[in-house]
Amino acid sequence: MKFKISRDALVPVASVLAALAIGAILIAAQGHSPLEVYKVLIVKGFQSTAGLQATLSKAGILIMSGLAITFGLRAGLFNIGAQGQVLSGALAFTYIGYRVHGLPIWIHLPFALLVGALFGALVGGFAGYLKATRGVHEVISTIMLNSIMAAVVDYLTQNQFRLKSQPNTRTPDILHSARLPHIFGFPTGFIVAVILAVVVGWIFRKSTVGFELDTVGKNRNAAWYAGISVKKSIVLGMLISGAIAGFTGGMFSAETTGYFVPAFYSGIGFDGITIALLGRANPIAIIPGAIFIGGMRSAQSAIQFQAGVSPDIINLLLALVLFFATAPLIAKMIKSNAKSITTTSGWGS
Amino acid sequence: MKRFNIKIWQLLLTIALLAIWIYSYIANTDITNSVVASGMRFGMPLALAAMVGIMCERSGVINIGIEGTMLLSGFTGFYIASWSKNIVVGLLVAILTGVLTSFVHAMMTIQWKMDQIIAGTIINILASGLTSFLYKEGSTIPNSWPIFDIPLLGRLPFIGHAFFTQQGPIQYLGLLLIPAIWVMMYKTRWGLRTRAVGENPGSADTAGVSVIKVRMINVMIGGAIGGLVGGFICLELVGSFSKEFTAGSGFTALALMIFGRWNPMGAFAAAILFGLAQALSTQLQIFGVTNIPNQFITMLPYVFTIVVLAVSAGKVRPPAAAGRSYEKEQA
Amino acid sequence: MKKSFIAGIAAVSLAALGFVAAPANAATNDDSKCGTAGLICIGVVTDIGHVTDKSFNQAAWEGAQAGAKAVGGVANYIESNAATDAEYGNNIALFAAKKYNVIVTVGFLEANATVAAAAKYPDIKFIGIDQFLDTTKTTPNLAGLNWHEDQAGFIAGYLAGYMTKSGKTGAVVGLNIPPVYRYAVGFANGVAYAGKEQGKKFPASKIIYHPAGDNAFSDPAFGAANSAQLLSQGYDVIFAAGGGTGNGGLARIAKTKGKYCIGVDVDQWGTVPEAQPCLITSAEKLIGAGTADQIAKVKAGTFTGGNVYGNVGIAPYHTFASKIPASVQAKVTAITKKILSGSLATGVK
Repeated sequence: MKFKISRDALVPVASVLAALAIGAILIAAQGHSPLEVYKVLIVKGFQSTAGLQATLSKAGILIMSGLAITFGLRAGLFNIGAQGQVLSGALAFTYIGYRVHGLPIWIHLPFALLVGALFGALVGGFAGYLKATRGVHEVISTIMLNSIMAAVVDYLTQNQFRLKSQPNTRTPDILHSARLPHIFGFPTGFIVAVILAVVVGWIFRKSTVGFELDTVGKNRNAAWYAGISVKKSIVLGMLISGAIAGFTGGMFSAETTGYFVPAFYSGIGFDGITIALLGRANPIAIIPGAIFIGGMRSAQSAIQFQAGVSPDIINLLLALVLFFATAPLIAKMIKSNAKSITTTSGWGS
Repeated sequence: MKRFNIKIWQLLLTIALLAIWIYSYIANTDITNSVVASGMRFGMPLALAAMVGIMCERSGVINIGIEGTMLLSGFTGFYIASWSKNIVVGLLVAILTGVLTSFVHAMMTIQWKMDQIIAGTIINILASGLTSFLYKEGSTIPNSWPIFDIPLLGRLPFIGHAFFTQQGPIQYLGLLLIPAIWVMMYKTRWGLRTRAVGENPGSADTAGVSVIKVRMINVMIGGAIGGLVGGFICLELVGSFSKEFTAGSGFTALALMIFGRWNPMGAFAAAILFGLAQALSTQLQIFGVTNIPNQFITMLPYVFTIVVLAVSAGKVRPPAAAGRSYEKEQA
Repeated sequence: MKKSFIAGIAAVSLAALGFVAAPANAATNDDSKCGTAGLICIGVVTDIGHVTDKSFNQAAWEGAQAGAKAVGGVANYIESNAATDAEYGNNIALFAAKKYNVIVTVGFLEANATVAAAAKYPDIKFIGIDQFLDTTKTTPNLAGLNWHEDQAGFIAGYLAGYMTKSGKTGAVVGLNIPPVYRYAVGFANGVAYAGKEQGKKFPASKIIYHPAGDNAFSDPAFGAANSAQLLSQGYDVIFAAGGGTGNGGLARIAKTKGKYCIGVDVDQWGTVPEAQPCLITSAEKLIGAGTADQIAKVKAGTFTGGNVYGNVGIAPYHTFASKIPASVQAKVTAITKKILSGSLATGVK
C-alpha cells in the first residue's frame, strides 16, 4: 500500500509550526525560554493521563459548539450569537437535572439533554423565524438575543432557580442521574461530540434536508428555482444550529460544571466560531482543530505556573494558527493546490 | 439607488419619537435633556464603530474585526499617551494603529482573497491575545480629553443642551464626521466609486475603476475611524485602558449598521435610538421602578431593537458584493 | 509573494508595537524547597480574572505576597482561564503537586472546587475568599473569608450623606450579585441615615445595575455614560462600584467640577489615579490584610477554618482630608465604630 501524504494536509501542520515560531519570538522577547513553554504545553496537554482527559473533555465541547456554528454556515446563516442559545440550553438542562427526581440515568440524562437542546432551538429558531418572515438579519437578532438571554438567565438564577442555602448566585447541584459518567476515565462528551460530527457530516453529504440547506447556503436564488423553500430552510437551519448550541450547554453542565452559574459558560459560543472557521465549516475537519485547541487550553495554567509566561500566549498562538491556516502564504510556499476556501458567502441576504 | 428610502413605518416612528420628546421636554426639561444627552453618549461610540463597518462593506468587504481594531488602538493609544505624556500623540497613534490593523485585514481579504469572516475573527482574537499578553498595570495618562460646552450651539433651545454640552471633543467630532461620511458616500465621485465597487465590481472594473485600490483605501479609512473609537473610549470617555474594554460593542455596532441599512445617517439614527433605549432603562432605575426586576429593565434596548426591526418588516439588503473577493475576469 | 511578506512584517510589527508594555508576571518565587518543615508556600488560584485586575484578585495576590513576606514564605499564583470546577481543581492540583501548604482561592465561583480540594488534601490549608461555607459539610482545613460589604457601603454612604449638597446620591454598579448588592444597598441606607441625622429627607439613593452578560464588570463606557446621566440630573455624590465598569464611572465623574465619587474594594486613589479629582474615599474590604492575617495564623498554628470575616472600612481621604469638615470626619469615625462593633445595623439582609 502506497502512503502518499497530500501537500494539502501539510498546510495545517506547517501553520502550527509557523505560529509556534512567532510565538517563540514573543516568549523570548519577554525573557522566557520558548522551549520550556512548549515542553509544558505538550506534557500537560497531551502526555499525562489527566492532561489528555482535560484536553479531550474541552475538545468535546469545542467540537459541539463548532458544529452549531457550522450547521448555520452551511445554510448560509451566521449564528454569531450562539452564546445565548448555549446559556438557555444549559439552564434548561440544569433545571431538569436538579428538579426531576427518581428517574434512572438512561432516561433522566437524555431527557434533560433533549430539553436543553429544545430551549437552544427555541432561541435559535426564533431568530430564524424573524429572518424568514420579517427579514430581520440573524446577526442582529442573535446578538440582541444574547443580551436578552443573559438577562433572563441571570434573573432566573437569582430567583426561582437559586439554591437558597447559599449566599451566592447558583442553582442546586444537578442530580447524579443527569450527570455524564466517564467510561473507563474517558471523557464521554468527546465521544458524543464525534458521533454528532459524523451525524452532521452525514446530513450534509447524504440527506435531502442537508442538500437543500447546502443549496440555500450556496445560492439562494438557485435554491428557489429548484423549488426549495428558502424560508423553511432558514428556520430549520437556525433551529438545528440553536438545538446543537443548547445541547452543548447541556453537555457542558452534565460533564463539567454540575450546577449552573452564568459565568461558567462564557466564551463557549464564540469559541465555536473560531473552531468552525478553522475547520472551514466541514463537520469532520473541525475535530483535529478542536483537539489541538483543547490541548492548548488545558495546558494554559501550567504554562503560567511552570514556565512563568502569561497564559494569554495561547490566544495569540490560536490567532496565528488561524491566520496561517487560512492565509495563502503557507499554501503557496509548499505548493499546495488547496484554494482558500470560502465558508461564508457574505451576509447571505 | 434611492438615498432616502423612507418607509411609512420609519416616518411614523420618527413622528412618534419627536412627539414623545417634545411632550417630555415640556413636562420636564431637565430630565429630558439629560436622557437625550445620555443617549448620545451611549450611542456615539457605537455609531462611530458602525461607520467602520459601513466604510468597509459599502466597498464590498465585510469587517467583523471592528472589536479587535478598537481594542488594539485603545491599547497602543493609551500606552503611547502614557509613555509620551501626551494625549494628542496617543490619539494619533490610536488612529495609526487602526489603519495598520485594517491594512492587515485588507491584505487578508482583498489581496489574498481570504474568507472575510475568518479575517475579521483573526483580527479579533489576535487583538484580544496581544493586548492581554502585553498588558502591564500601573500606567497612567497625564489627563484625559476634557469635556466642555460648545459656546453658542450649547444655548440653542430644545437641542442645545442635549447635543452640545458636557461632552468631549471626540464626541463632538462624531457629529461632524458622520454627516461627512454620508456626504462622501452619496455626493462625491469617490462615494460613487465605492458603492459601485460594493454593488457590482465587475462593471466598475470595466468602467476603469480599480476595485482593489478602492477597497484597500476604504478599509483603511474604516480602520482610522476604528482607531479613533478605540482612542475615544480609552483617552476621552474612560481615561485608562482595561482588558477587553470594548465589551462587545464592535458586534453591537455591526448589528446597528445593518439596522441602519448600511447608510451612515441610518446607522447613526439606529445607534442613537439604541443609546436612547439604554438611557431610558437607566432612567427607569433612577425613577426607582422597583416592581420590575432590573434584569428586565436593562434588557429593554435589545428587546426594543428586535421589536422595531420585526414590526418594520424591512427586508435589508447588504451591498451585493459584500463578502466576496474580487477576481478579475480573464478575457 | 512579496506583498504577502510585507503584510507578514506588518503583522509582526503590530505585535512589536506593544513593546512598551514589557513582561507581565515578575513574581516568580522559588518554590523548589516547598515541603520542607516550617516553610510556608502559598499558592493563589484566581477566578477568571487576572492578578492585575485592580480589584479583588489583585488584592488577594498582594495579601498573599505580604503574608508570605511576614512569615518568610513563598508565594505564587495561577490565573484560571475557564470558570469551571475542573479548571480550578486542576490549578489547585498543580500547587499540591509542588507541596504548597496554603492555597488561596479567589471568588465565589471557586467555592465548590475549594470544598472538594480541601477534602482531598487534608494537609493543605485552604483560604476561600468571598466563599461562605456550609460548615456542616466542610473540613477544618478550609476557611471561608468573607466581608460585610454592606458595612463598608453604609459608612461610605454616611459620608456621602454629609457631602451631598443636592441631597441626590446614586450608585453605578456591576452585575446584581450578592456582594455588589450589599455594597449598593448598604450605601443607600448609609445616605438615608445621615439624612435623618441632619433632619433632612433625602430622596432614596439610586442604584443602577449593569445588564447581565460576560462584560458586566468590564464595560467602562457603560459606567461613564450612566454616571454622566446621573450628574446631569444633579446627583452630586456617586458610588461607582464594579471593576472596569465602575472605574469608567469614576473617571467620568472626575471631569465634572464640584462632584464627588466613591470607589470600591480597594483604595482606588492608587488604582484609578484619574479619579483623584473627585475621589473622596473608597468603600474597602481589606482583602489583602484578611488574607495575610489567615496566613499568619497558619504559621502560628492558630488557623481554625470555618467562616471568618475580614475587616471593612473606608479608605483614607487623601487630599480631601482638608476639604471634608473636621466635624464630618469625626462623625464618620464615630459611625464606623458603631457599625463595626455591631451596635448599629446596616439594614441589609
